[in-house]
Amino acid sequence: MLRGRGGLRTAGRAAGAVPSLTPAVADQPHAISMFDYDSRPITPQVVLIGRESSAAYIIRDFLNRNGRPFEWVDVEDRERLGALKGRTAVEPSQLPLCVLPDGTRLAPATVEGVARGLGMVSAPALAEYDLAVVGAGPAGLAASVYAASEGLRTVTIEALAPGGQAGTTSMIENYLGFPRGISGSELATRASAQARHFGAEILLARPVGGLSQEGAGYLARLADGTVVRSRALLMTTGVDWRRLEVPGLEELLGSGVYYGAGPSEAVLCQGCRVAVVGGSNSAGQAVVRFSKYASHVTLLVRGRDLGASMSRYLVDRVTKIENVEVRTSAQIVGVEGGTRLRGVSVSTAGGAKVGHLALDHLFICIGGVPRTHGALELGLSTDAAGYLRTGSELTATRGALDRWELERQPLPLETNLPGLFAAGDVRSGSIKRCAAAVGEGSMAVALVHTRLAETGGEIGA
Amino acid sequence: MPELPPVVEVSDEARSEFGRLASEERVASVAAALESKGITAIVVNSGDEARLTVRTLLPEGAEVFNNTSRTLETTGVAEDIESSGRYQPLRLRLYQMDRQMQRREMRSMASAPDYVVGSAHAVTETGSVLVASASGSQLGPLVSGAYKVILVIGGQKIVRDLETGMRRIYEYCFPLEDDRARRAYGIPSGVNNVLIINRGVTPGRITVVLVKETLGF
Repeated sequence: MLRGRGGLRTAGRAAGAVPSLTPAVADQPHAISMFDYDSRPITPQVVLIGRESSAAYIIRDFLNRNGRPFEWVDVEDRERLGALKGRTAVEPSQLPLCVLPDGTRLAPATVEGVARGLGMVSAPALAEYDLAVVGAGPAGLAASVYAASEGLRTVTIEALAPGGQAGTTSMIENYLGFPRGISGSELATRASAQARHFGAEILLARPVGGLSQEGAGYLARLADGTVVRSRALLMTTGVDWRRLEVPGLEELLGSGVYYGAGPSEAVLCQGCRVAVVGGSNSAGQAVVRFSKYASHVTLLVRGRDLGASMSRYLVDRVTKIENVEVRTSAQIVGVEGGTRLRGVSVSTAGGAKVGHLALDHLFICIGGVPRTHGALELGLSTDAAGYLRTGSELTATRGALDRWELERQPLPLETNLPGLFAAGDVRSGSIKRCAAAVGEGSMAVALVHTRLAETGGEIGA
Repeated sequence: MPELPPVVEVSDEARSEFGRLASEERVASVAAALESKGITAIVVNSGDEARLTVRTLLPEGAEVFNNTSRTLETTGVAEDIESSGRYQPLRLRLYQMDRQMQRREMRSMASAPDYVVGSAHAVTETGSVLVASASGSQLGPLVSGAYKVILVIGGQKIVRDLETGMRRIYEYCFPLEDDRARRAYGIPSGVNNVLIINRGVTPGRITVVLVKETLGF
């Protein structure tokens, strides 16, 4: 059972025995963890009851990434179910069941339902914004901070949770200003607070269903039909994990197989055999995190050189961890498991050898597929892999500016539609690093100013 | 795990001495003593009133840590902080953090919240405030880490002097807290750290909300 993340689970066996000075309990040291003892929520929190499944995982990940404590109860845990008096009438076909702090039951629970039930879903406060930022990853949050701090009426629309892929990374150690590193979730939390501090509005759990033009501005249509109107729009939607094409893999999603390295799963890996697929920094950071919990972690990298796409500091870190094994030139070619993952078949040496790897959890962190939903209907130019073209790349691409009507050329981060910008991982040619995304998001704001000056009208009015 | 130490019961004498609500005059006198020691004192009639008072003291959007406290739990102050959406509740943020990967962030975050809201175990007639803690993590912010400190204290916690305050902690608060800790966490509590605030040196930093009602241990 998991209670929140790293909650009661560790009480009683964390390091640091604390001797009592009370005469009655003198010389009776009992191990307690300072934070486990002192940071448990006082008030009731979300309880999520279910079995390992994709639906349950998505909700756990959502709650975790939005900083909402929860208790995960496996439906087979009869003892715990029994302890949840009056709340445990569980219909197997209605799982996962989510019990909100006010007692509301959502069955089967969905991310949207949970978000609404927790009051996380809000409507845009203004009829029009100077800038709408789609996506609250590092690029989007940086843009939100700078735009709002410079007086732009700014709204940031996020489908799931702040932080994007970077928000799930355990520790970013080469981000400027944090010599001891900062976790992705903490960076996202601070950036969100900073953006709000300057007056940016952040709409969470609000997927964008479509985008359209309206005069010189844009309309973002949210999934529930709400329309957000803005004079300029910035796409910072990032990337989704690339799917691993292996027969039988999809059926085990949430049952031992996961895309990304959801922080909510780390504590469930205690003492387990884990594999991470991928050679990116995200994969490396996932390995570091899981190595703290799992008995053994195998990093499976398709390429021959781990350093090809992973930062050197992470390569050094990963290769020095005792319970981590790195296998290069390795590919998963099969999965084993009925209702739950039991292992994978791994091909090495160019397919000459196929070996079995027994596993409890498999985390896939390979490459990325640009998240451009809604933008393509607008006729945005993309490169062969689907990333949004901007600036000089457009001028160098035949036909990319056929619909461009302005005398000037597109600004550096501007797409082939005037006033619609792209920054971060979703942009063609971007450097897939957190700091680079933050830089682009910040830079985009200056370009938005240029565009708004061109179209006229008062900023921040 | 070593065997748990025996449970200590609250004696009838301790219950009678330390569980009784102070008179209105005594509450007013303690409030004046606190003020003379640089601690802002606000006297209220009930837990509900204390809850409303704390709301007025906490600015919307503030980063707030609510100490583990039966007083905050029963008055609804904890609920306001953790669930109202008006503040940034540090407690929930800490609880969510990865104890393996984020220990350093947790340590610094827990040490210096903008606002800390808690209670105390005794307040003396001369205006000293006593707070005991098993882990000690709650005390640093009270001493100097937090920008502002708000303590909600039930009227039964008023004692004559420091010595009586210490006796209150050992003979009355500890057994009750120990029982709660065993039920809640499966581990005993301990009077491992005791903080005595004799004076607030930064004007307006510490506010005590003295409640003319029995609240907490």
